[in-house]
Amino acid sequence: MNSQNALHTISHNIANKNTEGYSRQQTETFTNFPYGAGKTRIGTGARTASVQRVNNAYMERQLAEEKSNLGFMKGQANSLMRLEQVYNEEAVEGINASMVKFFNSFRELSTSPESVPKRIAVKESADLLARDFNKVAQQLHDIRGDANQQMAITVKDINSNTQEIASLNSQIQKIEVGGGYANDERDRRDQLIKELGEKIDIKWTEGEDSTVTIQTGGNAILVAGNDASRLAAVPMPGTEGKAEGDFDIMYYHHEYAEPLAITERINGGSLGGLIKVRDHDVREFQDKMNFLASEISNSVNDVHSQGYNTFNQTGVNLFDPISEKDGAENMKVSAEVMGDVGRIAAGLDPNAPGDNRVANMISDIQNEKKFVDGTTSLDEYYNGIVAEMGLRTEKANHMLETQQGVVTQLENLRESYSGVNIDQEVANMVEWQKQFDASARIIRTADEMLDTVINLRRY
Amino acid sequence: MRVSDKMNYNQSMAAINKNRTDLMTYQNQAATQKRINKPSDDPLGAARILTSKTEIQGFEQYKRNILSAKESVEVSEQSLSQASELLIRAKELAIDQADDAANGPESRRITAAEVKQIYEQMVNVANRRYGDHYLFAGHKTLNAPFDMTGTYFGDDSEVQVEIEKNSYMNTNIPGSTVFLGRKIADDIPPAKVFKDGNTKVEARAPDSVETSLAAQGPSQIQNRQTIANSRQGAWGDHSVNIFETLKDLEVGLRANDKSVVQNSLETLDSAISQINRARGELGSRISALNTGLETLQKLGIDERVKQSEIEDVDMYDLVNNLSKTQTQLEASLATSGKMMKTTLLDFIK
Repeated sequence: MNSQNALHTISHNIANKNTEGYSRQQTETFTNFPYGAGKTRIGTGARTASVQRVNNAYMERQLAEEKSNLGFMKGQANSLMRLEQVYNEEAVEGINASMVKFFNSFRELSTSPESVPKRIAVKESADLLARDFNKVAQQLHDIRGDANQQMAITVKDINSNTQEIASLNSQIQKIEVGGGYANDERDRRDQLIKELGEKIDIKWTEGEDSTVTIQTGGNAILVAGNDASRLAAVPMPGTEGKAEGDFDIMYYHHEYAEPLAITERINGGSLGGLIKVRDHDVREFQDKMNFLASEISNSVNDVHSQGYNTFNQTGVNLFDPISEKDGAENMKVSAEVMGDVGRIAAGLDPNAPGDNRVANMISDIQNEKKFVDGTTSLDEYYNGIVAEMGLRTEKANHMLETQQGVVTQLENLRESYSGVNIDQEVANMVEWQKQFDASARIIRTADEMLDTVINLRRY
Repeated sequence: MRVSDKMNYNQSMAAINKNRTDLMTYQNQAATQKRINKPSDDPLGAARILTSKTEIQGFEQYKRNILSAKESVEVSEQSLSQASELLIRAKELAIDQADDAANGPESRRITAAEVKQIYEQMVNVANRRYGDHYLFAGHKTLNAPFDMTGTYFGDDSEVQVEIEKNSYMNTNIPGSTVFLGRKIADDIPPAKVFKDGNTKVEARAPDSVETSLAAQGPSQIQNRQTIANSRQGAWGDHSVNIFETLKDLEVGLRANDKSVVQNSLETLDSAISQINRARGELGSRISALNTGLETLQKLGIDERVKQSEIEDVDMYDLVNNLSKTQTQLEASLATSGKMMKTTLLDFIK
């Protein structure tokens, strides 16, 4: 009987060798109560006391916490890497290239302001610049949209995790209230908590009744006993500081309660990483692009509108006026200039087709140090954005790598303690087999002895 | 330490993954020959590369500007050399006709006809076009600057082309200066300012667009200083209206007025030197442009070298790293294969 129990456990261990979060189990035997008295208390063998998992709760908690950090960094690094592609001018020409083209087209125009082809080149390069800004604005917008979609998916996973944890809570409670060990259920629950932590920052405590209580975003209780509360990702109307359509994470304490927005309180897990990139990094780069687009348009317009075009008009804008708030997506060459390149103003005097002073002034804007308190030119400002982007991604990747190392280390520690080793299991198996063999031999010997006794009469 | 099978497996996979990732990075570097393939590979380097690209593009543009400036300066210079020849011919004629020895009213009338022709040719020279614009018209380049009476329809503006970052070169000489001998500094209104009174502009940044704006009066921009200085002397005191000079000569000849002819000799001399000084100036611009071109060529190469140093991959390092990683990968694969295969099971029974 003992050998059979042990072999069952061994086979369970081997079968779950690859199960994520499984802790190896051990059978414990102890001696049966002896009979007899005095100096002849005779042992009555052994029986299985318990089957328990080999598990260190402290280690599990540490691992879960580090995994939560890892989730955050993963969410952050993945989004940043996408964001980085928007600014990757190693592969394709981007805003830097079109900015250079734009200002150079005015230099080219300055060599002969009478030339229609050169005016067309100016118009085209201005249009290209505007479109590049539109494109980047759109890409940034898409990245936010993707972040929202991912948030919605993550929230779904979170809900299914919390529900399963709640139902495991009740199973474990039922098993352990009678003094048993809910080994497999606990393994599964620990694993789910780890997975949950990778998605959202949580705090959890195990109560006297063997159930865990899980909190997120400060004090929103996700799991209590066998109840799980639901989260939902809901598109918001554009409110202060938020773009329209961005998702907020809503917390439903129970189905009929007023939902509570906890977006800002989520600081960890992949959800936290997504929210951080969406609300912090992407927003910041959007602001910067809008600022840059509006600065280019407005400072070019300032000069351009003072000049005279070939129709002797003044006050014509090269770009439609845009604001710092949403400049990048709305940047556009003005309809006047798109309609007729003769409306590009090159000169400062009326009736002066050879006057190129405005063209010169516009090309000067490129190197003018007028941003950030007069320390930075347009070029430098944009290159600064690229460097900033690169630095952030590099840092996020680096942190992710380091954290990955920490988690691997902890996982190894946990595995070292709780993991299954075939050699050990086989050795155990052999040991138990030997014992079984020996027990069987004893039974046979006893049987033979009995035989001898029975056959005594015949001799 | 107790080693579970999963640890073994995880470690092998981590090692193999890392080696494969490295290999991919190196392979990408080999394929692009670039060390930096996205900003995060080297953020500051990536920004520096963008600066380099901007600079190189700028150099290319300045080169084109110089070439185009050079062409128009050269054509101007050729035109003026023609003008100078015409004036020398006029002077020869005037010298011939300056005394009474061999000349009567008849020969003076014939000479007058030739001077008239010279005058007409001079108007043609002054109305010389390059491409679609008139060279000696200031900014009013689409209309002929002079009519047959020698009236000037152009303006006194100079065309400036950027030939280096924030440095400009004049590419024209207004007809009013070279043919009419008008002193620029005198009759040009003060630098034109923006219609909004220049305040907004000046408030923004003290010394770029605005300076050139304020300095748009033709002669003041800093890099043109040398040219401007030489000009002060050039158009100094003896400025001459060439058309009037020729006209006077013709009229004098027709009227058979010896003293007018004699007087015109001196003005013709002034006229010739006026043209020649302008040619000298254009010549010095050409050589400045040539120097500028050479400098740009050199700067362009330097910048490319800098960019390459930052951006390009070091092939020695790369090949070295590649083979090292390759070896590592093979080692991890070999050991993983061996380790994962063996268990105690292989040795019992």
